[in-house]
Amino acid sequence: MIYQILREAWISISAYKLRTFLTMLGIVIGVASVVLMVAAGQTVSNEITKTFDSMGTNLIILAPAETVSGGVRGGRGRPSITFKDVEALKTLKDVETASYVVNTAVQAVYGSSNYGVSVYGTNPDYLAVGNWEIETGVPFTEKDVKTGKPYILIGQTIVDELFGLQNPIGKVLRLKGQPFTVIGTLKEKGDNLMGQDQDNIIMMPATTLRQRLRGSYRPNYADMAFVKVTEEDKMESVSKRIEYLLRSRHYLKEGTPNDFSMHLMTEMVEKVQNVGFILSLLLSAIASISLVVGSIGIMNMMLVSVTERTREIGTRKALGAPNRWIMFQFLAESIIISFMGSFVGMVFGVVLSQIAGHILEKQVPISMWSVVISASVAIFVGVVSGIMPARKAMKLDPIDALRYQ
Amino acid sequence: MSGKSVVIEVKDLCKTYYMDGGASQVVLKHIHFKIYEGEFVAIMGHSGSGKSTLMNTLGCLDRPTSGEYYLAGEPVATRTDQELAVIRGQKIGFVFQNFNLMMKRSIVDNVSMPLIYQGVGEKERRERALEMLKVVGLQGYGDRPPSQISGGMQQRVAIARALINNPKIIFADEPTGNLDSTTSDEIMNLFTELNKKGITIVLVTHEDDVADYAKRMIKISDGKIEYDGPRKEYHA
Repeated sequence: MIYQILREAWISISAYKLRTFLTMLGIVIGVASVVLMVAAGQTVSNEITKTFDSMGTNLIILAPAETVSGGVRGGRGRPSITFKDVEALKTLKDVETASYVVNTAVQAVYGSSNYGVSVYGTNPDYLAVGNWEIETGVPFTEKDVKTGKPYILIGQTIVDELFGLQNPIGKVLRLKGQPFTVIGTLKEKGDNLMGQDQDNIIMMPATTLRQRLRGSYRPNYADMAFVKVTEEDKMESVSKRIEYLLRSRHYLKEGTPNDFSMHLMTEMVEKVQNVGFILSLLLSAIASISLVVGSIGIMNMMLVSVTERTREIGTRKALGAPNRWIMFQFLAESIIISFMGSFVGMVFGVVLSQIAGHILEKQVPISMWSVVISASVAIFVGVVSGIMPARKAMKLDPIDALRYQ
Repeated sequence: MSGKSVVIEVKDLCKTYYMDGGASQVVLKHIHFKIYEGEFVAIMGHSGSGKSTLMNTLGCLDRPTSGEYYLAGEPVATRTDQELAVIRGQKIGFVFQNFNLMMKRSIVDNVSMPLIYQGVGEKERRERALEMLKVVGLQGYGDRPPSQISGGMQQRVAIARALINNPKIIFADEPTGNLDSTTSDEIMNLFTELNKKGITIVLVTHEDDVADYAKRMIKISDGKIEYDGPRKEYHA
């Protein structure tokens, strides 16, 4: 019986091709835009996750505490974490490694070319902490840090900007007039989420940076420290141990606030991903307005159709069609329209999102959500916009319907 | 006629319409008759006489306010809409004044339409429809739409549709009202032919020469039976 109903419904709607097509178009546009918006939201969310992954997610970031005076938050406080603190952090349980950075921005000069670059003074562990890999050459060693050797690792942007096709290993470039020898190059990372070029970087031993590029104020203190934790679910316990260790090393009495701040990367990822989720939700909500409009289109068409086909309905009833049959036929008509519209809309949405991803050079995921959305829209919109016209058809009195001109 | 079985029996049939505001109008007043298998009956009457209401009630499209109605021995006066739909589908064939064909569907689809609601499969529906088209003299037209054939032929399609479920009785409501006199004669000859094959026909008309094809006549006037007897013996 279901087959017969669907067949009658199909023949009826295919008798009005243009009208059916235009009505379907509303649903096509609605579903396509929802699928597109979901894809957009997911792409943003994925890009965020990718950026965090490139930094490493099992990270705890330590920085000097913010200054607070009279309830007003100031900027970053004076440095409070020493290089030795970081060495001590390495010994904690569940800590894979720890690192620190002091940074500055200078002009790098090689021959007649020069380029503005961020310089990171750090220890060899920073490569592991920041998920950096060596492309060519070798990293600097713990010993180089102790002795303050002028050895540097350079990012791909510096390679391209200053050396072009030359092999940079062993070359000497100048920062603030001082010579530094390139001992290695770093593998490309690309832009981060904020569009900053992560490859515009020079790494060197922290001691070297302190001695040669920055003033002598608090020379053994780091701007930031990073602790890499062995497993993600150990983050909380490790952060407690860090707090305990640093407080005791800094001789902080009970009741005094920490002179450092601590950020768990996992928490930050979560926060940012929440923002991404809310973003896609918001975008889809806006897009679904067009779905509502499309749904009203179906209802409108079905109402017109019921009125137009009053005599047909009366005839069918006189010839033995039960009321339910009439209702299901009209319901099936609206469900078929919304089903086909949703399917075509889903295909359009996926194809367009892939094209957009191709143009913007971003990986756009084809998500299960688009299928789930279009399937539920197909049924929901079909039933919601079809039920009223279908009931109207069902309730027609056959005598009146046969007399209708 | 006593050897034949009774197809329709109405006893004390009344129909009253109640309007909004409490007014009411009595349309059928204590109607009483039997129609036997194989009869050809013309129901006549002026407009407003109640003949359409009687027709709708006999056709199970409407229920009487009071009284009894037996169709092929079964009481049908107090059935639900759902049950009436089944009865219409199984026991009654309708022919309408304006044919009521679906112009965008093929003639076969039109003829076989009542069988859908009986759960008959597509293949059997087509076979039976083609057979019925032969009966009404329209073989070879099955796959065309009704819009390509003349009015008289369209009414033949409608008659084939009325016959397809092997009904106990056929109700024809002004079947020639939209046709010219030559075509009317053709259609009425077809009815006569079908009646000779044993099919019971109830014809509603206000035209005397159409009613002449019937053997028996029931004249309704002001909601009551004014005459019930052989058509030939009626003198206005």
